[in-house]
Amino acid sequence: MKPLKLNISGVRGIVGQTITPELVVDFCCAFGTMIPPGPVLVGRDTRTSGLMLQEAATAALMSTGHEVIDLDICPTPIIQFLVKKYRASGAVSITAGHNTAEWNALNFINAQGTYLNEFQGTELLDLYHLGKFALKKIKKSPALIHELNSEEIYFNWLLSKLKVEEIKKSALKVVVDPCNGAGSKLVSRFLNYLGCQVIAVNDLGNGFFPHDPEPRPRNAGELSALVKATGAAVGFLLNSDVSRISLVTEEGETLSEEYTLPLVADYWLKRQPGPVVTNLSTSRMIEEVAKKYGVKVSRTRVGQSAIIQAMFQENAVLGGEGSGSVAIKDFQPAFDAFLVLGLILERLATEQKYLSELVGELPRYHIVKDKVVCPPHRLHSLVAETRKLFPGAEINSLDGLRVEKKDLWIHIRASATEPLIRIIAEGSSASRVRQEVDRVVSFLNRMIG
Amino acid sequence: MRQQLPLKISVSGLRGIVGESLTPKLAARFASAFGTYLGQGQVLVGQDSRPSGLMLKKAVISGLLATGCQPVEVGILPIPTILFLTKEKQAAGAIIVTASHNPLEWNGLKFIGPEGLYLKSSQVEEFLDIFHQGEFTYVPADRLKHVLQEKQAGQLHLEKIFSRLKVKAIQKRRLRVVADCANGAGATLLPQFLEQLGCEAIFINTELSGRFAHQSEPTPENLKGLCQKVKEYQADLGLAQDADADRLALVDEKGRPLGEDMTLTIAVAHLLSRKRGPVVVNLSASMVIDDLGKKYRVPVFRTKVGEINVVEKMLEEKAVIGGEGNGGVIWPEVHPCRDSFTAAGLVLEALAISGQKLSELAASFPRYFMVKEKISCPTELAYRVVLNLKNKYEKEGENISTLDGLKILWSDSWVHLRPSNTEPIIRIIAEARNQLKVKKLVERFRREIKETIKKLS
Repeated sequence: MKPLKLNISGVRGIVGQTITPELVVDFCCAFGTMIPPGPVLVGRDTRTSGLMLQEAATAALMSTGHEVIDLDICPTPIIQFLVKKYRASGAVSITAGHNTAEWNALNFINAQGTYLNEFQGTELLDLYHLGKFALKKIKKSPALIHELNSEEIYFNWLLSKLKVEEIKKSALKVVVDPCNGAGSKLVSRFLNYLGCQVIAVNDLGNGFFPHDPEPRPRNAGELSALVKATGAAVGFLLNSDVSRISLVTEEGETLSEEYTLPLVADYWLKRQPGPVVTNLSTSRMIEEVAKKYGVKVSRTRVGQSAIIQAMFQENAVLGGEGSGSVAIKDFQPAFDAFLVLGLILERLATEQKYLSELVGELPRYHIVKDKVVCPPHRLHSLVAETRKLFPGAEINSLDGLRVEKKDLWIHIRASATEPLIRIIAEGSSASRVRQEVDRVVSFLNRMIG
Repeated sequence: MRQQLPLKISVSGLRGIVGESLTPKLAARFASAFGTYLGQGQVLVGQDSRPSGLMLKKAVISGLLATGCQPVEVGILPIPTILFLTKEKQAAGAIIVTASHNPLEWNGLKFIGPEGLYLKSSQVEEFLDIFHQGEFTYVPADRLKHVLQEKQAGQLHLEKIFSRLKVKAIQKRRLRVVADCANGAGATLLPQFLEQLGCEAIFINTELSGRFAHQSEPTPENLKGLCQKVKEYQADLGLAQDADADRLALVDEKGRPLGEDMTLTIAVAHLLSRKRGPVVVNLSASMVIDDLGKKYRVPVFRTKVGEINVVEKMLEEKAVIGGEGNGGVIWPEVHPCRDSFTAAGLVLEALAISGQKLSELAASFPRYFMVKEKISCPTELAYRVVLNLKNKYEKEGENISTLDGLKILWSDSWVHLRPSNTEPIIRIIAEARNQLKVKKLVERFRREIKETIKKLS
């Protein structure tokens, strides 16, 4: 089994096995062929494999006649923002976000600064498979522009939209763990602009991940200990490209990444009520928050591309996922952890409450996430098989299988990024939820054999 | 006749047309194959000035990184400088993004092995096998290296040359030089070189836009501009590099091109006057070299045409000097490769020490006349034609050498017939004591080849 996953907006795999210079060149030639002429931004997170991919991507984009703007190490939300600033034809962000260090991925971004939508993604794949690329004769040395400190343009914009003075007044003490990823140094700089007293761990940006770069409680041990030891108001845990974030309360409680979206929504919807978009796997907390402000929640398939497209369709003010990602229409159509950081601090400062109090205002559900490793060619058929386990239940099959029961919901889906079936369930009784998940897991294991 | 294909994979590397046959994928695959062949270590990556160089260099770096090599970028540099540096830095090898003197839309890759030597044909075979099998040893993410930059490469090369030259003597003579860099990478280093040797120098064709003002071969026809400038500035000599800066041709103080083989003659004569030892040249180099060998009582070895063949024999015989009649001088004390800088250094030193003018120096050698011609002939047929003639002359009891094609030697002349490896032609090279004789010799063999072609096809 080869660990390579194509999803709507990119390609992901293990470096040296499936992610090779040839594959990167082919995909980027396809992308360079698809997008209109004009400059393309290329940036990456800190993974040790990043440069290998970036050099191949740059060569491919140049060969299809594009000028390349090299952003070096740069968080994805900043790349997405800069696409429009530089009037670029598109961008490639080289990052495997929350995946472990041996993985990497190409994420393709269109001229609007969003991940490719379904149609663009399909076209890209067709071009890739066709293998006929619009290669250009290079008669003039193509420009390769090295942008330095381009993140300042982004910070200036984001700061102009936040209540910076109020945040500064509170002079919050903040601990942050960028996992030596693309957020290293940058997050601290951003927090300094907000007048915070910053304590940063794993801030070297050398691509050596001290723990999995996935913002969730089991990776937050070091952060939580530091929050308690320093008496900080909040701790932030980031993934490798600053698109996802999870929080630690002032008491050192490592919050599930599911809390990120409702905590931001509970603040933003008050200012700007409007439709919300999330995926089928995300906690019910968001519905409770939406109810408070009388707005509608639509649920769509998993992934940044699907969420952002649904936000456009529903004219949503806010979208996000239970994996710790949030996008707000008034900012940019991108999952952006800098934005979350800013708004959480703004909320703490303006409401003058502790994070644990804000968490207390949310309903408490028990969520259980599990996964079953599965051969890629059987992913979807096995997910469909699980329907047998829920005779007569209300089922949504937009993305895998989502079953609504009175006391809980359960979502069974094929991962878009790894050969896994993910099972997520949530309800008010922990034991009931666990029981239901175990039933599905053992069924799947039996089927896989 | 078969049309020239837009992609060539040969002993000397890979050549193709960018945007058609030479794609970033092909470059990355070749680099990965080379990385697999070398088995990690540092690999220098250089380029010439073609506009597609940057694109291909990026693909090459990616391919090297993926196989666990550490690329060292050296930028635009003369080929001998990169060869020298590969050894100096104890790198595992080097890849140069260059198509020498091909037109602008072409580019290519040259592969250099450890010790800074071109790959031998057996090594090329192994490396190409890896490429064709397509099984590259990609390493996991935690074993990927980063890219290094080397900015001192040029100066290191020059310092090595200066350490072997009588720099003060050359500086003292304050030679006036006009240099033609043929819009090649030599322009990045030659000004520095001549300045540090105290020469008063004027340069032409130094722009590195990838466009060539004239054909790169430093043959008399291509050097008209240089000859004129030498006269105009009343210079002591003119130096002409080819696009790779591995070959050098000379123009004397009267503005007359001396012919490419004179460079080797002067370099060999001068070096032997300093230090006795074996000399190695290829089969096509002038008989003057044999005369010099006799004069200094040192052995002269002849090899197949091709730089690597000369180099290997030189290392084997511990030769003190060698090269090719096309202006490629190899001075192993600096580095065993053709190098227009070492050639220029030896010529300048010869002038400085003898105090002669270049025309006088050139006239001091026995005079021979050489003619080079080519006849169109399909590749496969070319081999049979040469074989047929070999059998004939063998039977007639002539003194022949079949080391590379067919060379027939007489007491004061020779002719060398060689099917080309890269083009559908047979090359004829002949040398004799006077112009008439050499013309007749070429005429005779041209006729014989044509007749044989007719007979065999």
